[in-house]
Amino acid sequence: MTDITIPDGLWEDGAEAALSTWFYADGDHVAAGAVVAEIMVEKTSYEIQSPAGGTLHIAIAEEQMVAPGQCIGRIS
Amino acid sequence: MSSSDQSVTAPRPEQPQAQRRQTIAKSMAEAIAQEMAANPAVLVMGEDVGKLGGVFGTTGGLLDSFGPDRVRDTPISETGFIGAAVGMAAAGMRPVVELMFVDFFGVCMDAIYNLAAKQSYFSGGRVACPMVLMTSVGGGYGDAGQHSQCLYATFGHLPGMKVVIPSNAHDAKGLMIAAIRDDNPVIFMFHKALQGMGWLGTVPGSITHVPEKDYAIPIGKAAICRTGEDITLVGLGATVHQALAAARKLEAKGHSAEVIDLRTIAPLDRETIIASARRTGRLLVVDDDYLSYGVGAEIITSVCEAALGDLKCAPVRIAHPDIPIPFSPVLEHFVLPSAEKVEAAALAMLGDTN
Repeated sequence: MTDITIPDGLWEDGAEAALSTWFYADGDHVAAGAVVAEIMVEKTSYEIQSPAGGTLHIAIAEEQMVAPGQCIGRIS
Repeated sequence: MSSSDQSVTAPRPEQPQAQRRQTIAKSMAEAIAQEMAANPAVLVMGEDVGKLGGVFGTTGGLLDSFGPDRVRDTPISETGFIGAAVGMAAAGMRPVVELMFVDFFGVCMDAIYNLAAKQSYFSGGRVACPMVLMTSVGGGYGDAGQHSQCLYATFGHLPGMKVVIPSNAHDAKGLMIAAIRDDNPVIFMFHKALQGMGWLGTVPGSITHVPEKDYAIPIGKAAICRTGEDITLVGLGATVHQALAAARKLEAKGHSAEVIDLRTIAPLDRETIIASARRTGRLLVVDDDYLSYGVGAEIITSVCEAALGDLKCAPVRIAHPDIPIPFSPVLEHFVLPSAEKVEAAALAMLGDTN
């Protein structure tokens, strides 16, 4: 299992962030480096890449608030 | 083609399983980038298309890749930069310009319908107008009557332009590449609810597998994105997804609905629509533009002219009523089409009153 974690420092501290889109469904196979999710901070989006290839397990649903350092899913 | 949910994420039979999923915004930017790399005559102009990458993400990364000479931020003067694009196209360039909201077409329409659309005709075919005007359409997110219109029929009505409206990322890339390569002016209308910008909400079915290589989707060809026997549902852009959602509900009640994604309204693929309506005998058009003189009217007339005797009931259109789009979310959603309205109209046409 490899965690998919939101990197620190993508945006200014304190801004509200939401997980806007999962590009793959729970259980899909994803390649290492694929853009799997997008985080929206105000009107700017940040891409989250998969740290490894494998099966995606989604931990945080779309539209939920997220923070830097948070694990949003796992790859097995 | 199966009638499962797979038809939403992989709507074309030739498409492989999802591997490289993208939003419409990303696929538009990728298409423009590939055409810019292949042809130095392709240029981009508009408001906030450079550093910001387009307020709807349509030009992300282009400034870094191609520089400020080919990706140009313009002042807020659609009259100026869209007029300039018509001249650039006459001079042999292939400009892609963004009209940020279609609602603002008023100040630049002379350049579009009197100049761009007529250039080839007035010059006896000697001066083409290979420009793409991309523009955002649609509401549903409380942006009121000057930022939520669709105006498909306004552009579809005027001769000399092609008009395309993608419903998913795969088609958006192929239609954009076809539009840039076309020697005619092409109006590329993208629906804000499908764009993949989180703050506008995103219809999941619009995010699809997008091949990395360049490919063109023929302008003027509709797609049957779900096959069925009892009723034909015709949609465009966002309403394709409402029709697909309604088709799944109808299936659960024992009715088989075919769903057609127009993809282009000028030229309109009458052949595909008429063939489907002949087979199912029932036609329901779902449109989020204004009702009167609209896309639904054109499609229903075309089917009645060709196949009236094959219809089992009167055709029906769902559209936005003939009023400005309300600001209040409660009022706006009351007047916009939805999967529930499509399902209810289809059940009435099918005589299902249970």
